[in-house]
Amino acid sequence: MPVVLTVPTGFPPRVRTSGLLALGCAAVLWQPGARADGVVVDRVYDPYVQPLEKEIEWRAVGQGDSDDDALDNLQLQRLGIGRSFSDRWAGEIYLFGQNTEDQNFDFEGSELEAKWQLTEQGEYAADWGMLFELEYERNRQQWEAATTLISAREWGRWTGTANFAVLYEWSDDYVNEWETQLRLQARYRLSPKFEPMLELYAGQGTLGLGPVMRGTKKFRAARQLIWEAGVILGITEESPDQTLRLSLEYEFY
Amino acid sequence: MVSCRKKIAALLSLAAGVWGAGYPQVELEIRDHLFTPSELVVPANTKVKLIVYNRDPTPEEFESYQLNREKVIIGGQRAIIFIGPLAPGEYPFFGEFNPKTAQGKVIAR
Ligand SMILES: [Cu+2]
Repeated sequence: MPVVLTVPTGFPPRVRTSGLLALGCAAVLWQPGARADGVVVDRVYDPYVQPLEKEIEWRAVGQGDSDDDALDNLQLQRLGIGRSFSDRWAGEIYLFGQNTEDQNFDFEGSELEAKWQLTEQGEYAADWGMLFELEYERNRQQWEAATTLISAREWGRWTGTANFAVLYEWSDDYVNEWETQLRLQARYRLSPKFEPMLELYAGQGTLGLGPVMRGTKKFRAARQLIWEAGVILGITEESPDQTLRLSLEYEFY
Repeated sequence: MVSCRKKIAALLSLAAGVWGAGYPQVELEIRDHLFTPSELVVPANTKVKLIVYNRDPTPEEFESYQLNREKVIIGGQRAIIFIGPLAPGEYPFFGEFNPKTAQGKVIAR
């Protein structure tokens, strides 16, 4: 399946060139019908970094599929702590684990993540950032590295966010492979307490779309709790029928 | 209408000293957990470059749900915040570290 993405022109040439390069590489490396060994539904990242911010995060996805046991009853959980290092860079470290139909919850691995804010919010037609991830899965002794281009744009009370990721998985025992993923989100800023969103996930044999809700509860001294909950429905036959996603993020200074 | 716009332009260039790279520029200062000025008049339907100086030693956050902006400014530093283009109207903002005292609004005309 060819990937056709247009890149808006209203941002600096340096970013434009690297963005186009990333998209170009990804389009070449796109593999039709990659095997469905991963959970694609996760979250959509925004490109912003706040200096001095620290956070604790919990994310969970639960998958169900009526006619594919490999996709059914899978639960993946992730616990992370993070902080920013400047007004441009932030880092986070995660532990994750999963349980399946015939396997109890087991700690599976850890992940390092760095986010880089490239442009000032609102300065150009779209806001840009990058995400770098390195993950190690201990059971399969497998590594995964990912680079994601993040873009966000505002249309009145709507915010559109796109994540385009290129992943590489390698290990001694499995075939090394390249993958690409696309995550899209449309968010309506109704009120801080409740924002309806629509999300799309594509990659690794999954194409899913569904409603997600988000709310923010504020506490003293700029502390806040952000919750997200939603269900992504599989559009294609090989996609999981439904994927429930939940996340809680506590931000403090 | 034209003279009103001219007045705003004059005010803006006075406040900013210079016109930034294409965008009108306005400045805001945080001192003793207060925003000065607490009312910022900006041209409607135009993107504006807002420079916020934090003169306090403690961090402050410029926050506005109406403007869709959230920006932490470290003590003694400054931050650039691009806002708009805004429809005519009032857009409240506050400082998240001191929400009771640090308040203000952007007025787009
Ligand atoms: Cu991640």
